[in-house]
Amino acid sequence: MLIPMPRDGETSDFADLSGTQSRAVVIAELRRLLPGREGSRQTLPFGLAALDSCLPEGGLACGALHEVVPEAQNTIAAAFGFIVALLAHIACPPPLIFVMPAYGGRQHGRLFGHGLNGLGLDPGRLILIETAHRKETLWALAEALRSGAPHAVVGMIDRLDLKTSQKLHLAAADCGLPLLLMRPAQTLESSAAATRWRVGTRRAARDRFGLYARPRWHLQLERCRNGRPGQWVVEYDHVAHCFSLAAALADPALSRGPGAQPLQQAGRS
Amino acid sequence: MLAVAAAGGPRIAALNEAAAAAGLACGEPLADARAKAGMLQVRAGDATADDAALRRLALWATRYTPTASPLCRDIWSEENGADGFFLDVEGAAHLFGGEQSLIADLAGRLAYFGLPARLAVAATPGAAWAASRFHPASCCVLPSGEEAAALEGLPIEALRLSLETRRALRRLGFKTIGALMDQPRAPFAARFAAELLRRLDQALGRIDEPLIPIVAPPVYHSLQYLLEPIVTAAAVVARAGRLMQNLVHVLTRDDVGARALRLCLYRVDGAVETIDIGLTAPTRSVSHVTRLIDLKLETLAAVEDGGFGFEAIGLAVTRTEAMPARQTELISAAPDSDRAERCAALIDALRQRLGPHRVRRFEPVARHLPERAEALAQADGTASAWPAPEQTRPLLLLPHAEPAEVTALVPDGPPRCFCWRGVTYDVAGSQGPERIGAEWWRAQKSAHGDGENLTRDYFVVEDLGGHRFWLYREGLYQRETASARWFVQGLFA
Repeated sequence: MLIPMPRDGETSDFADLSGTQSRAVVIAELRRLLPGREGSRQTLPFGLAALDSCLPEGGLACGALHEVVPEAQNTIAAAFGFIVALLAHIACPPPLIFVMPAYGGRQHGRLFGHGLNGLGLDPGRLILIETAHRKETLWALAEALRSGAPHAVVGMIDRLDLKTSQKLHLAAADCGLPLLLMRPAQTLESSAAATRWRVGTRRAARDRFGLYARPRWHLQLERCRNGRPGQWVVEYDHVAHCFSLAAALADPALSRGPGAQPLQQAGRS
Repeated sequence: MLAVAAAGGPRIAALNEAAAAAGLACGEPLADARAKAGMLQVRAGDATADDAALRRLALWATRYTPTASPLCRDIWSEENGADGFFLDVEGAAHLFGGEQSLIADLAGRLAYFGLPARLAVAATPGAAWAASRFHPASCCVLPSGEEAAALEGLPIEALRLSLETRRALRRLGFKTIGALMDQPRAPFAARFAAELLRRLDQALGRIDEPLIPIVAPPVYHSLQYLLEPIVTAAAVVARAGRLMQNLVHVLTRDDVGARALRLCLYRVDGAVETIDIGLTAPTRSVSHVTRLIDLKLETLAAVEDGGFGFEAIGLAVTRTEAMPARQTELISAAPDSDRAERCAALIDALRQRLGPHRVRRFEPVARHLPERAEALAQADGTASAWPAPEQTRPLLLLPHAEPAEVTALVPDGPPRCFCWRGVTYDVAGSQGPERIGAEWWRAQKSAHGDGENLTRDYFVVEDLGGHRFWLYREGLYQRETASARWFVQGLFA
């Protein structure tokens, strides 16, 4: 933003700003000038300080478009699992909409109701919509957002250009619902999404009998508007619906801290 | 003959002339009937279907008079018999040229339908009932004022009495109505229920007997002829909106909402296009219905090649459901109050555009095989209850289990490494086995095999990268099959 500098002999408001009050006044001025973001929108906090501190509103913003991308084609189950874990956070009876293209079933299979149950999401709350092509998927997503009836909308789209993603983001912002989009693993282009997560698999946590207790995912927040990117290994407990950071992080890349070259990792997949 | 379940085994409910000629009677136990006659064709009697058919016949008979009263089981009690109907032809007989020709016309039409009928016209319903069943002629007209003379010779079954009363009267020696009429009334009133004298008086006309006429179900239909034919979809939608507006008053008056609608577009060249719309929740809202019609017309090519246009449009409500009026609040409550309606509206719109089989919800099925343990049912606003999860199940299930080459210890060791879809995975850890036996109570073929039911041992295997798969081995070594095969069925999150 350009702050006009006073010419010689001319005084301007900005020249008077000095001292400790200047920053607060400038921020107030900015708030007045920038297009208004009304009050408090709801957020879905992860419950983990490490994650929530990187996100602008302390959690996943409702009323925004979020993209979830699997690291590689074979980690698509982990990406689905992450989405289901996010949905399981939203604890209300009314429905959630899941739009899935019907042609994806042969590749990676279809959602299994008992599996959803096992991850803590009651399958009776989902409405599954199968579409035949991309146009129908976009229409169904727009329709679901416009009605404002569900509590969250999930979709799966392969090609999304900037303009369409902006429209979807605005539609989600209008009704205050979170829109989670699953994209294919080769997604690199920019979009109007508020956050983009890349999900990879990790060895699952075992309980004291040696049985698989909680799934673990390698989350990488690639882009986050007004926030900081980062990567973590989180563990999801389906009984308590809570995320926790996995205990042993032996990965040296993680010890470098957040912002560790996410684009290069995306190129690797 | 028709058999109906009763105390002591199935009994005969109805029979045809051949059975009657063989000496069988109505009400006899079926076992006795089978012993008496050789070959019997027996069908189960369906009382509700009979009632429905009788109602439809009574509705048809309203062409003679508006007061038609079927003898259905819920209106009349058992002893009236449920196989006929009353017609009150008091002011209508002259339209058909007198009662004799009315009866002849009705008999002829019923014979054309294939229904043998016995008809009688009398001044009171009781006398008509008696005469139709027990008079020797199949169509008779009793002159008014002469019921006493006509009923004299008929047996006491012609009065609609209960079984105990009939038995008691027979024991006392009364066989005909005439015998009853001669006796003084006081002992009857003392000994029997008031029903006996009431029926007698009703038959003779001393007491009135009201009939409950059948009411035709209401029809919600709105039709409009247009001066100029319309061609575009937008015009069709606008007209349909106005037709729905006409129907809203009638629906509100009857406290019902529309669940299914039919829009008929009559083309100038005589063809008719029909559009059916189904709704998940009853509605009276014009905007919702027009939106659904708009969506449906988009998917149909009917309007594009509408020829010269549509000259008439009709909107009919084919299915209604009770929808009592709801009190709306002055200050709008929390936005969750009408979320259910918005959800129903959304499901309707999605179903219209994408098709009803594309909008579905999950439903559990009580079967062991995982691929059959859930079903996708059409979404209609209801949610199914899922039990608490007990076994580990994968998040994604492949539509068909895909074969994999697996190295494992024989006979029942866990997999060590496997090759699936051309990629080899080294197993770092596995969990299992979970044994799911075949459903021996169903005769089914396994998808990959030779038609036998084989037991499955499921393993959750994890490789070094953290990918988890759900593998199963089909068939037990040396017990079910010589060489077992492995399949991948699901992926874990």
